[in-house]
Amino acid sequence: MSQRTERRGIHVDQSDLLCKKGCGYYGNAAWQGLCSKCWREEYQRVRQKQIQDDWALAEKLQREEEAAAYASSHSAHSQSTAAQHASVGHFSKFEEKKTNEKTRKVTTVKKFFSPSSRTTSKKEIQEVKAPSPSISRHASFDTDQVSKEFVDFLKNLHKPGRETYKQCRAFLLNMSSKKVCCPPETITVSISYQNKETFLFRQDLGADELSECVQDFYQNLADRLISHFKGSSESVEQVMDQVEKYIMTRLYKSVFCPETTDDEKKDLATQDRIRALHWVTIQMLCVSMEEDIPEVSENVVKAITDIIEMDSKRVPRDKLACITRCSKHIFSAIRITKNEPASADDFLPALIYIVLKANPPRLQSNIQYITRFCNPSRLMTGEDGYYFTNLCCAVAFIEKLNAQSLNLSPEEFERFMSGQTSPQFSSSDSDWPCSESGLGTTVTNPVLVQLNHNLELLTGLCTRQEAVMEAAQSLQADLLTWSDSVQQEVHNILEKYPLEIISKVSAIDANTDNDNLPSPIKPQVFAD
Amino acid sequence: MATAGASGGSKTFSFKVVLLGEGCVGKTSLVLRYCENKFNDKHITTLQASFLTKKLNITGKRVNLAIWDTAGQERFHALGPIYYRDSNGAVLVYDITDEDSFQKVKNWVKELRKMLGNDICLCIVGNKTDLDKDRHVSVEEAESYAESVGARHYHTSAKLNKGIEELFLDLCKRMMETAQAEERAKGNGASQSASSRRGVQIVDDEPQATPARGCCSG
Repeated sequence: MSQRTERRGIHVDQSDLLCKKGCGYYGNAAWQGLCSKCWREEYQRVRQKQIQDDWALAEKLQREEEAAAYASSHSAHSQSTAAQHASVGHFSKFEEKKTNEKTRKVTTVKKFFSPSSRTTSKKEIQEVKAPSPSISRHASFDTDQVSKEFVDFLKNLHKPGRETYKQCRAFLLNMSSKKVCCPPETITVSISYQNKETFLFRQDLGADELSECVQDFYQNLADRLISHFKGSSESVEQVMDQVEKYIMTRLYKSVFCPETTDDEKKDLATQDRIRALHWVTIQMLCVSMEEDIPEVSENVVKAITDIIEMDSKRVPRDKLACITRCSKHIFSAIRITKNEPASADDFLPALIYIVLKANPPRLQSNIQYITRFCNPSRLMTGEDGYYFTNLCCAVAFIEKLNAQSLNLSPEEFERFMSGQTSPQFSSSDSDWPCSESGLGTTVTNPVLVQLNHNLELLTGLCTRQEAVMEAAQSLQADLLTWSDSVQQEVHNILEKYPLEIISKVSAIDANTDNDNLPSPIKPQVFAD
Repeated sequence: MATAGASGGSKTFSFKVVLLGEGCVGKTSLVLRYCENKFNDKHITTLQASFLTKKLNITGKRVNLAIWDTAGQERFHALGPIYYRDSNGAVLVYDITDEDSFQKVKNWVKELRKMLGNDICLCIVGNKTDLDKDRHVSVEEAESYAESVGARHYHTSAKLNKGIEELFLDLCKRMMETAQAEERAKGNGASQSASSRRGVQIVDDEPQATPARGCCSG
């Protein structure tokens, strides 16, 4: 080729024709002066860059929002730039472009949060929030929402708010980096780490260690906040609640019912246990609730709904709130029945009854999760803590329940457990088969009452249907005999009065019957 | 949960007190009388009498008292440890007309001392002193027993509202002493049992002035 170019005398330097990478092969203008091999490599890199770039952009947008939360954005700026370096580091070209873009954006953000605009107008706030949709590409709606609320909440706190936010971020990163740092060769992990919404954990980090990490964090943060707020425990609690909400919403997926524990097995065991105890009646537990009263049964249903709802919440405090609501409904039910405030003597059996009726999903996991990750000050002393403790008691009681605790003989208990008999009938074992009416009075379970009622209705319907069938059949028979008899009758009549046709009767003979006819009308003359 | 509630410098004590005793000894009446000052009243507004709180101001220190009622039926006895875990005080109630209920109290004392050692302040309470003519538990026996196990003994009547204020006030003072002794032993201002147990280094606390806020409601 070189000979050819020389021959034609075109001023092309030898080096211009070679691959720009300097690999020694010739390049091609269509491949930006690269040889085919280098071009392919470059192309791949650019594509890779594009992907990374997208990640980085998403991250950057989020960082900007965070930067907004940091109000005085000098520190935030440097931090996010550093992070930017870390994430895109070696792609200097892209980096440059992006940094320009970012500094521009950060300065606008800075403007919003400069001291002069502390009383931010509504419009500005909306502008600040604007980048959030791009984040939700990667974050689930929930986490996104919670993060936003958290940032909004902390904005009002100025310096301690910023401090708190920083610490929370650092903690979350720390928790997730426990996974990332361990196998440095797995790049895929660190990419999803860039995403920052998926926090991965070292699977071998036991649930107790995770719990310890979180609790240590709560403790440290609370101590710091106390010094910030000069001992105003209410504001500290407020902040701690928000922190718990924020952190636990993000950690929920990885720390709820982790694989390292046998929580799931326990869940199933408890579920089966409660199913096996379906026959336990309100009387056996000595619960002072009259379910016949409509208001009471309404409260019972609400209590059951609340305890089941617990599983759907993510934040330990929200789960506690469900237990508290359930308890309040139980108290109402007892209050209506007994007309006096419920003591623990009334409350615990009622709660056990509710748990048995509800069979709440993943009960053990939920209890463990709350125990491990709830802010301890709330769990141990507050009202919520009391109800939670009672729930733990109820579960412990259900697990250990035996004949004695229900005032039954061991034989009876065995029979009920094996499903041979059901307590409703055993109490009136002697009389129920012979007297059907007695059944209705002895049965207290509303479902069974309903069942019996339905059965009665069905029996009634059956007899009535039979009557209808009989009547229909007799009607059919009647119809047949009727048509027969009509036919018979017609036949008889026809036989009795046979049709005789007299052929000339109808013919009129004008000549013969003259006498019978009136005289013909003759014309009369009037006008004469 | 231990003592100095969230604040390091200004003391707000948060105490958890469990109420133990057989059913029908008047645990609920006792606590309702203390927190609502009502007895067998149809006008009691509270929905429940199983968890009640009371705010006190004892010698300038604020105290939040959380009183946990427990189910007294025999079949729930095994659940005791779940209830009294982390409590600062226990009020063990018996009925002076019921020898059996006093035996139950003795069982509780044994169990509590075994499980929680001397960290917990015990109060043995003979309730229903208005029925003194039917008394089946002698004063001497009860008081000497209480002394032998390091507990205080009180006589109360929820019906006549006798001895209840004294009981809880005394208990609070003792719990404060225990808490302060514990703090001194730790040699640092903020000592939350949770923190010490978890081995967290305590971040420097600025010393804070005790707010001269009175909030005595009792």
